[in-house]
Amino acid sequence: MSAPESKPLAHPVRVKIVLAVLAAALTVAGGVPLFKHRHFGTPFVAGPGVTKVIKLSDYSPGLKGRFVDADVFVMEGAEPGGKALIMANTHANEPAGYLAVKILIENAVVQKGTLYIIPTINVSASRNTKAGDGYPLYYDIPTDWGRVRFRMGTRDASPLESWPDPDVYIHYPDKQLLSYLDLRNTNRTWPGRPNGPMMERVTYAAMELMRKEKIDLAFDFHGAETMFPVTNCIVAPQKSAKFATLASMMVKAMEGFDSHVEPSPQNFRGLSHREIGDFSNTLPFLLEAPIPFLDQPTGPKTVKLLLDGKDPFLLSLAKKKKLFVSYDANGWPMDKRVGQHMSTTLEIIRQFSKKTPDRAIRLSGAPKYADLVRDGVGKYFHDPAKAEPGRIHYE
Amino acid sequence: MKKALVILFAAASVVTLAAGQTAVPKAKLPVLTTSAGQSNDVNALNIVLEEADIKYDYCDVPTPEMVAAGVGLGNKQSAEGFHVESTTDLAKFPKGTPFKACLVAIGASLKGMGASGLTIDTEEARVKKLVDYCKKNKIFLVAVHVGGEAGRGPAGSDNERMIDAVAPLADFIVVTKDSNKDGRFSKIAEKGKIGFQQVDYALGLVDIVKKMFN
Repeated sequence: MSAPESKPLAHPVRVKIVLAVLAAALTVAGGVPLFKHRHFGTPFVAGPGVTKVIKLSDYSPGLKGRFVDADVFVMEGAEPGGKALIMANTHANEPAGYLAVKILIENAVVQKGTLYIIPTINVSASRNTKAGDGYPLYYDIPTDWGRVRFRMGTRDASPLESWPDPDVYIHYPDKQLLSYLDLRNTNRTWPGRPNGPMMERVTYAAMELMRKEKIDLAFDFHGAETMFPVTNCIVAPQKSAKFATLASMMVKAMEGFDSHVEPSPQNFRGLSHREIGDFSNTLPFLLEAPIPFLDQPTGPKTVKLLLDGKDPFLLSLAKKKKLFVSYDANGWPMDKRVGQHMSTTLEIIRQFSKKTPDRAIRLSGAPKYADLVRDGVGKYFHDPAKAEPGRIHYE
Repeated sequence: MKKALVILFAAASVVTLAAGQTAVPKAKLPVLTTSAGQSNDVNALNIVLEEADIKYDYCDVPTPEMVAAGVGLGNKQSAEGFHVESTTDLAKFPKGTPFKACLVAIGASLKGMGASGLTIDTEEARVKKLVDYCKKNKIFLVAVHVGGEAGRGPAGSDNERMIDAVAPLADFIVVTKDSNKDGRFSKIAEKGKIGFQQVDYALGLVDIVKKMFN
């Protein structure tokens, strides 16, 4: 008996196969760049001031082996003194702080006291993107020896690390009801819990670092829209307000840029500038530099806009006094934003050191606002090709 | 750095009597510092007084009754959303000594007002009562604005309402240059024949308060 003749597939089945192949091709074509982005690392050259690199999980075992565990660069001075913690990439779509800490790690040397630097406190958000908003996946900074490529992240951790989202996020321990997305936002999950949702574990580990190491000052670097009232400022609770105010007055007079002080509200929970102060002896400061890229009424979200901050729609709004910062055809370039973070931080450290000499922190080698505006941030990045292999860390 | 600071203070203290500016008047101690609008600028004002070595009493939201209680502010203690500080030299001015001057840092902050349980309307009403008390009791009222452009806004905005509540009734107005880019304070001073000074930076106020109180 001969085998029956094969019949051609029915039309609907062929369509389904074609569609399945197309869907798979689209998934691969769309997924591969995201996969590469998630696993891309920018080389950070541990400069002469870095004495060791540890993990955030060293302070809270709940993070051990997790994708979200972050590097902590430690810079110890020969002389004991005060201690400061600097955190960037809380919101990984606000990259000025990330560039500022790369410059500190590669150039600064501490003589007295200790600096702890976490380049990316929200690792998951830095490896996530906001595709719906047309975010670029990367941006490049030119240097004398080539271009350095950075991942452009987003505000919230990926659902891959924090899932599912709740209907509302109930803040711990205050039980304040926050947006469901805030469960993935490391500037809403302070002070955190050791075994809570993943972003609470991250902030809890940072709190433990501050408590165990007796950190005097904590800096959380951010960027904010020009149309948002809390921009171009230092947010500080009452306990930090005098140092913030002194620094604000000094940078205005000595370095020629504005960074006013905003009080940290007592009734809005989960923010670093609130909870760090309330749950430790550390004085917190959250630094906001304007970032036109994040404003809603702009042109396309391009790398150019991210780096130079020039946008014709914002310029038009500025003329109508709709912005909370002065804004002209020069935009708000990255060099200026990084410079503001750097100089404001150094000035707060200087003021604190003046008032509490036994806990003073002294460091050198960090460029200031005028240096960064004049030279550009790329001038201060070190060439990994010339570094010892053990001194390169991919962030 | 020290040299730079000395130069800076010197430069900031060179106050040219440009159009509309008047000499710094003399005022007497003890002095109360406070805020109109609960921005951080009152901290800047307190730092200025400390740099000038002038002792003061401070409350962010004083009532007329507290001002009437004089130095020590009726022994009120700080609590959530309410801050009191008394550094006045009690050997010279014992508790209860009536205030002779009141320095008001103008600047509205939604976060600051929220922290003190205030809205712009309740804050405006509170400030008006305070100003009214100072005028009735001949307390030398100084309006201070060091918030620059960030502490200004369009007509009718929170910041402008705070300015309206204090500046036209002040005995003296002192502001930073960037707070007065549109000449608003100069015009208020001119219209009300109020003493007026403008400084480049907030640190320039150190010299002004020294002249005022010493």
